[in-house]
Amino acid sequence: MRFLKKPASVKGTLLALLLPAGIGLMGVAWLVHGLLLDRMSREFVESRLKDEVAFLEHQIRDANGEVDTLQTGDYFQDVFHHAFAIHTPEQTIISPDTWEPLLTPLIENEEDGTVRVEDAETTDTPLDILAYRKSFQVGETPIVVIVSEDLGALKRSQAALHAWTAVVSVLLIMLLVAVLWFGITMSMRPVVTLKAALKRLQDGEISRINVQSPEEFHPLVLQLNQLLDSLDQRLERSRDALANLSHSVKTPIAAVRQILEDDTRPLDTNLRRQMVERLSDIDRQLEAEMRRSRFAGPQIGKSAYPIKQARDLLWMLGRLYPEKSFELSSSLPEDSRWPIEEHDLNEVLGNLLDNAGKWSSRCVELSVEQGSGFKRIVVADDGPGVNHKDLASLGQRGLRLDEQTPGHGLGLAIVRDIVTRYEGKISFSTKSCSGLRVFIEFSK
Amino acid sequence: MRLLLVEDDRLLAEGLVRQLGKAGFSVDTTPSAREAVVLGEQEDYRAVVLDLGLPDGNGLDVLRKWRTNHVSCPVLILTARGDWQDKVNGLKAGADDYLAKPFQTEELIARLNALVRRSEGRVHAQVKAGRFELDENRQSLKMDDGVEHTLTGTEFRLLRCLMSRPGHVFSKEQLMEQLYNLNDSPSENVIEAYIRRLRKLVGSETISTRRGQGYIFNAIP
Repeated sequence: MRFLKKPASVKGTLLALLLPAGIGLMGVAWLVHGLLLDRMSREFVESRLKDEVAFLEHQIRDANGEVDTLQTGDYFQDVFHHAFAIHTPEQTIISPDTWEPLLTPLIENEEDGTVRVEDAETTDTPLDILAYRKSFQVGETPIVVIVSEDLGALKRSQAALHAWTAVVSVLLIMLLVAVLWFGITMSMRPVVTLKAALKRLQDGEISRINVQSPEEFHPLVLQLNQLLDSLDQRLERSRDALANLSHSVKTPIAAVRQILEDDTRPLDTNLRRQMVERLSDIDRQLEAEMRRSRFAGPQIGKSAYPIKQARDLLWMLGRLYPEKSFELSSSLPEDSRWPIEEHDLNEVLGNLLDNAGKWSSRCVELSVEQGSGFKRIVVADDGPGVNHKDLASLGQRGLRLDEQTPGHGLGLAIVRDIVTRYEGKISFSTKSCSGLRVFIEFSK
Repeated sequence: MRLLLVEDDRLLAEGLVRQLGKAGFSVDTTPSAREAVVLGEQEDYRAVVLDLGLPDGNGLDVLRKWRTNHVSCPVLILTARGDWQDKVNGLKAGADDYLAKPFQTEELIARLNALVRRSEGRVHAQVKAGRFELDENRQSLKMDDGVEHTLTGTEFRLLRCLMSRPGHVFSKEQLMEQLYNLNDSPSENVIEAYIRRLRKLVGSETISTRRGQGYIFNAIP
């Protein structure tokens, strides 16, 4: 089986499996055919010999034991094509004469029934014969009748028949190969069309694969098209982002450059402040667009370790805010995986924890849980919280609730974007004494 | 206060030297990673500002070299990449704080002062028990095979308490006092949950339960 382990091609594997199996089966059928043919012909010859003996007996009884009156000579041989011997106490008739050395021992044998003589040590006689001996009495005369047939001739014709069967078998095998080849080629045709479609896709002749594919290939084609969709979306998004970015970045650059190139204009405090503002704008835009374009969204084959990542982030924030405590509450095992791209999950956890760290007075708690059909992240801090009327607008683009402590602004907007992309839910709640609680649930 | 500034952008470095000088630091500056390694090991700086993208090497490698050679002055890393994983990696390599470019000089100076203050107050101590070493500065647990595990605040406090006296039975009430200032209404379940988590890290045979009495840290060599 080892040579089947790594199939080079489906076609090759199918042929390698089906062809030997077909040939083997055909061979077995041929052998069985030979055995059956042998047995059948022997039974047939035996019954015929019996019939002939019965016929001879009948003739002899009709002639009242007068063997001489029987039409002998070549008559029986002509009728039956067999050799025979009739023995009475007076005389013995053996026809043809050449069989005499073979049949004489049988007459003397005094044993009725079928006898097979092989490798007889006589000349001019067949080597292998089948004979039927019967003794009976007509009146007072005991008579022995033997009819025999040359099995060699029979075997020769049998062998010829068997050889013909072999020829037919070989022809059938060739037909089988042709049918197999045809069948495999037919059933592999969708793959070939798919291959052609992919080639055309690569060459840009078509934009989506639209092939009449058999049921087994539907998921494949669907996945491929989804992959293409997501590629298109990504390209479109990054183009949009770049267009937005260049629009909002080039203008301030032009303004700053214009001021710097004009060496007659003195750089007073007001002008400096304005230039710094322009540069800050550029930085903000860049940062926002870059972070937005960096996250991946749901992807096949990507997963994250929520507990490991949460631990690292909590530890890092604990080092950055040594006077605050960052705690993890989770019953998940250390190596559990979530189907979220690693960087995306880091961005969600990092932004939420960073915000909470900035606003909390002493303690931030992250809870990561997982149940049947949901995955939940809750980040709670003990800071001042957010006004109830502002809760709904948290994380909306462009909104910044507080200018002093940078936070609850861009970070939450990114979190909201990512959660939406993963078809999750995000909600905020606040209590008078417990600060802000961010609640995220992914259903997948 | 002597400060080392490792930054390859000359314009930025010059500006920072001026501003940091005004803030009371005497600044040495170098644009190369190779020189930074040597300077950090030879001179006695109170703080280091380290840019990660250097022309002749990665700032993180410089930092790792310093830390393996026991250069323990606080390091603030400057990075243009705002990736969370980068920040985690920076701190894991031994940095004490990070600042994303572009930054305001006031913020850099405030952070540096905070770092210096923190470093003066810190106790350079490692708690060792059995196969484990608890790093108080880095709030992390080092195994004898060199693997470092990061700990949250409560996990660290609890483990430090247990490891401070191996073989001693700590009752739940005693341990709760360690966490009391963190959770306003702690229940005994909290302790059990933290012990469970710590056992996942150090192995269940290391922290054993004495029924009705409390928990023991076993210093198994």
